[in-house]
Amino acid sequence: MIAKIAVVLISMVVAYLVGQWRRFSVELSLFLAAFLGAGCGAIFSTPPWQEILRHLVEGSFTYLDVILVFSTATIFMAVLRESGGIDYVVQATMNSLGKIRPLALFILMVIVLIPGALTGAGSVSLLVVGAPVAAALHHLGLSRPRIAAILFILAGLSAAAPPVNIWAMILCAGTAIPYVGFELPLGLPVIFLGTLTIFSLGWRPEKIAEAKENWEKMDIPKGMSWWRIALPFMVLFGLILAYRLWPFNLPVLGLPLQFFLGSITAWLTSPKKLNFFLISRETMVRILPLVSTMVVIGMLQQVMTATGVRGLISYAVISIPLVLLFISLAVIIPISEGVLTYGAAAILGIPLIWYLDSLGYHATVAISGLSLLWPLGDGLPPTALIGRLSVMVSNYEGSYWSFLRKTWFPWIIITLAGILMVIFSAKLSFLVRWSTG
Amino acid sequence: MRTKIILLICLVFILIWPAIQLYQHRHFQIPIVAGPGVTRVTKLSHYLPALKGTMADTWIFWLEGQESGGKALILGNSHANEPEGMLAALVVIENGLVERGTLLVIPQFNHSASRATRPGDGYPLYFNIDTKWGKKKFRMGNREASPLDQWPDPDVYLHYPDKQLLSFLDARNVNRTWPGRPKGLLMEQVTYAAMELIRQEKVDLVIDIHGAETMFPVTNCIVAPEKSAKLATMVSLTVKATEKFDNHVEPSPPKFRGLSHREIGDYSDAMPFLLEAPIPFLDQPTGPKTEKFLLDGKDPFLLRLSRKNKLFVPYDETGWPIDKRVGQHLSVTLEILRQYSRRTPERSIIIHNVPRYAEVVEKGVGYYFQDPSQVRRDRIYLN
Repeated sequence: MIAKIAVVLISMVVAYLVGQWRRFSVELSLFLAAFLGAGCGAIFSTPPWQEILRHLVEGSFTYLDVILVFSTATIFMAVLRESGGIDYVVQATMNSLGKIRPLALFILMVIVLIPGALTGAGSVSLLVVGAPVAAALHHLGLSRPRIAAILFILAGLSAAAPPVNIWAMILCAGTAIPYVGFELPLGLPVIFLGTLTIFSLGWRPEKIAEAKENWEKMDIPKGMSWWRIALPFMVLFGLILAYRLWPFNLPVLGLPLQFFLGSITAWLTSPKKLNFFLISRETMVRILPLVSTMVVIGMLQQVMTATGVRGLISYAVISIPLVLLFISLAVIIPISEGVLTYGAAAILGIPLIWYLDSLGYHATVAISGLSLLWPLGDGLPPTALIGRLSVMVSNYEGSYWSFLRKTWFPWIIITLAGILMVIFSAKLSFLVRWSTG
Repeated sequence: MRTKIILLICLVFILIWPAIQLYQHRHFQIPIVAGPGVTRVTKLSHYLPALKGTMADTWIFWLEGQESGGKALILGNSHANEPEGMLAALVVIENGLVERGTLLVIPQFNHSASRATRPGDGYPLYFNIDTKWGKKKFRMGNREASPLDQWPDPDVYLHYPDKQLLSFLDARNVNRTWPGRPKGLLMEQVTYAAMELIRQEKVDLVIDIHGAETMFPVTNCIVAPEKSAKLATMVSLTVKATEKFDNHVEPSPPKFRGLSHREIGDYSDAMPFLLEAPIPFLDQPTGPKTEKFLLDGKDPFLLRLSRKNKLFVPYDETGWPIDKRVGQHLSVTLEILRQYSRRTPERSIIIHNVPRYAEVVEKGVGYYFQDPSQVRRDRIYLN
């Protein structure tokens, strides 16, 4: 059976490479890999022929909720941008904080961390505050690739930050470990690593003259004021926080509807007249490649499971000798995230945590350590979800890899921190005790 | 434009077949034969009318003895991708004869989940069990309720009443929504209705039957809170001594909220037990997720991992077949009833004609299912 699965895996890799060679888009190449993988699997009846289309269609729904959140959050930000709100925020922030650089950098970091920490999605951080923070960083004299690098790392850390960490929640749900005691094991490294990232990448200004010129050229619409900006955010965060505070008295709206209501508020408070439907349509056209990647990744994940390829990969990882496993976490975890996004936590994370738990490692701290590594993979292809969003919101138009190269220093520090947390999880278990009181 | 229209038409044609397959799966009915011991059949919505007419409503089979005694509730398919629980419950429904006390059986506790698939995980849509009269076909379900019945998910699920943060998916997982609330999410209503059933009917024992991965430490065991621990230990020792299979006791963690083995004990007088049997199909490092693998539990990757001592249960070339899993559950269930009846004779529950481990392994679980075509129509319940 193992040889058959290997044949399917090879067929998928070849199909993807052929797609790339023929200059197909990433999502079309991935679709080709999923389709040919399913076809090749069907030769061995895994899955049967008559089930191929069902697996592809069913798999395409895997990330439907994530797609809805992306779409509505991007529309929310697009409405704010069109209203002139983002330019206004940037100008005001830079007027008040621009001269105290460390404080400005620190506050911008906190601004990026909050939405992701509340929702567990770094993409939400980028879609909600990415553009204004990018503009602010630009006005602090940073180049576009460096801004994209900062946003990418911070958005990843925001997703790992407590109270909501989806990777940890998936692992807890799958390993029957309560999702408690994560505040300090996640919170402390996130604050430390976030501060290190923004100071290491943002301390030295690069292009002050150009930035200042752009800043002064900003065209703020007449009538724009703080309350017009604050109200949509208040509606959005108010709805998110209200559910946290009164979960048994309020209906569950879900993030897509919460973002939609925020968008409507932004549209109503805009000082200039906006065509909501036109903005929505243009936004959807813009994020279509991202949406189609998520659809195809779901198909790929389903086909990989139905054919046994997913199991083969999972088996290969947990068969690695322990010392080698710790070293290879630096590569395996981000790559798995790049291919499977949150699915990686279930496929690799659950057996890994059970295995480590059985060896006496502290599960909660080990999960926290792994949670720092997963977001790094969101910058890697084929999905590169957060990486692509970081590039998009920072208006960087150069090579993707030159942006990613800028992240090398925080990337290495985060990797080391995550792996050391896993290795010394038993010794760090006091963080869990302090969190739970 | 013409290319776009042609592509659209092609897409519609491609979608038709899978759409029909998925629609048929959601609406496929499993005929359940009410055996000679079934005295009445009601619905869960009797205990919470809000459930009436929803996909979450489900059948309750009552097996009442001539003499009054204690009451026990058996739950199958709390997680509908762990079918051994449902199969064990059906064996009891179709064969059990209660002499004393009452047995209540809910074979599809998360009925909505049993009509859902699991996107991304490549499950088969159905599985078939061999019987004396042919194959009996079952839906393969999901761990969580269908989003068609409960949606949207919150960004994070806050457990009622403790406000413990749980994964957003757990809002649709009935084994995280205990003790539930009457005006809560649909799955919270399901667990609330079950709590009402337990409280109103003065149920003594609740046995929630599951399956767990071989790489999961809490597998092949009885999970019990403090109040059930003594009885569970006796059961574990007895089945080991008399029936030669392991089923150790795991304590129910007091800080992990929402689980049946924790909340039922805390919010009622009943003693809860959660039974786990190893289901290799749910493990991550496995070959293709096929119907055969679901039933025989044989996998080359798990075999290799077993040799490297990375599994929590013994595993060899024989796998972990469905008959063994159902047999274990039935023996442990019968032993819980027997030990409880011995300790509290005034609330005893005495049941006959339910096979034990060795018999199920020998004859196969399908042996105990009746042919619906040979049974009176009013004894068949479609689920």
